[in-house]
Amino acid sequence: MSADRPSRRTPELTAGDSRAQPAAHLASPAALAKTFAATTAVLIASLLVLLQATGGGQSFTTETLRRQHISQQAEQIPAFDVTLGNGQRTTLHALLAPGGKVWLVDFVYIRCQTLCLSLGSIYQQLQAQIEARGLQDQVGLLSISFDPAHDSPAALADYARRMSMNSRVWQIATLSNWQDRRRLLDAFGIMVLPAPLGEFEHNAALHVVTSNAMLTRIVDYADYKAALDLAATVVAAAPVASGNVSTSAP
Amino acid sequence: MTRAWLAAVAAALAVGLSVPPLRSLIEQSMSWHMVGQMPLLVAAGALAASTLPAKALPASWSSFNQFGLTGFMAAQGVIAYWMLPSVIDRAVVNPGFDVFKLLTLFASGMLLRGAFQRAPMALQLFFIGYWVSMMCWLGIYFAITDLRLCNAYSLDSQIATGWGLLTLGLLLGIVWLGNTWRQVVKKPAS
Repeated sequence: MSADRPSRRTPELTAGDSRAQPAAHLASPAALAKTFAATTAVLIASLLVLLQATGGGQSFTTETLRRQHISQQAEQIPAFDVTLGNGQRTTLHALLAPGGKVWLVDFVYIRCQTLCLSLGSIYQQLQAQIEARGLQDQVGLLSISFDPAHDSPAALADYARRMSMNSRVWQIATLSNWQDRRRLLDAFGIMVLPAPLGEFEHNAALHVVTSNAMLTRIVDYADYKAALDLAATVVAAAPVASGNVSTSAP
Repeated sequence: MTRAWLAAVAAALAVGLSVPPLRSLIEQSMSWHMVGQMPLLVAAGALAASTLPAKALPASWSSFNQFGLTGFMAAQGVIAYWMLPSVIDRAVVNPGFDVFKLLTLFASGMLLRGAFQRAPMALQLFFIGYWVSMMCWLGIYFAITDLRLCNAYSLDSQIATGWGLLTLGLLLGIVWLGNTWRQVVKKPAS
């Protein structure tokens, strides 16, 4: 259907009315100057709009724009009620607050068979590195399920066992109210699409979140080692800020 | 069917794709959005402009658009803008922004109609050459990259769109060449 469209459209576009051309040849210098000025103005306006839309020519996708924006300006993550694998209900803020840790947060759904398996293994490697480097009190891992309809506390607990999660390092939580799903995904800039076989396709990354629930950086999964270093640096750089948080946390 | 009817049908279909129930097509398929709706909007704009009387605009305006250069440049800006993956995402999730897409692409079609009428062949070739190469390059990139460029669309949808853009780009070039050839043969004196 789309294939025959250009043939319909182009005769209109390329009619190249030769009767118009003699008039064009008579263009006066004044008209040419006006046209040159108008074209230059349009060109400059277009370039400004394109620069604005691409974060100064650096980001052509929503994902890179989001990462660029967050790295320039951290964002507060709003409050959510969450449920842990042991059935304990708490809030996201309360989960993040203790000890002034910096968290690497990612989004999962337990039925995931494809990408998530490799993501799970990245988190296992992160867990191993945190243990090996003794960063347990500085950096935490948090996986949040965006599929509360399927991911019951029992499913979370089962996933935690399969992944050999060390609960001192790596937590998994799901939303207590599935109505919060859209708000949660929007807060982190995640877009979830239904995919065949009941799976989902979504943009996936590591979200560096401080204990006062500030989203400070979004890092690609491929750079997970750098993300861990970054999280450790954030902790080292802001001991005072994290101290404030644990006292001000509700 | 008269040209005015054709313009009305093209415009109604193009706008209809942004309104439920057809909207689900452009929400789920990048091809319907980029290879279907967007070119259709430009075509509808061009068709609509072709139904306007020759003196629809004050004559003094044409001195700002000699050879259609300003029209080409403005249409070029609009088309380049709507090729950005982040902007395409935004049109999917934000219906208000989608209206902006309808208006600007339709307007670019209207501008292009006037520009092609005024432009000498060399200038047409410059812009057509630019668009054909942009659509082919972008199409191949969409089709072969492992990166999912739009958060709103799956990788499979992006790959299909890539091949669609490549086809559309090649068709645009072929049709323009065919038309230009016909003109040259018909009017060798001019």
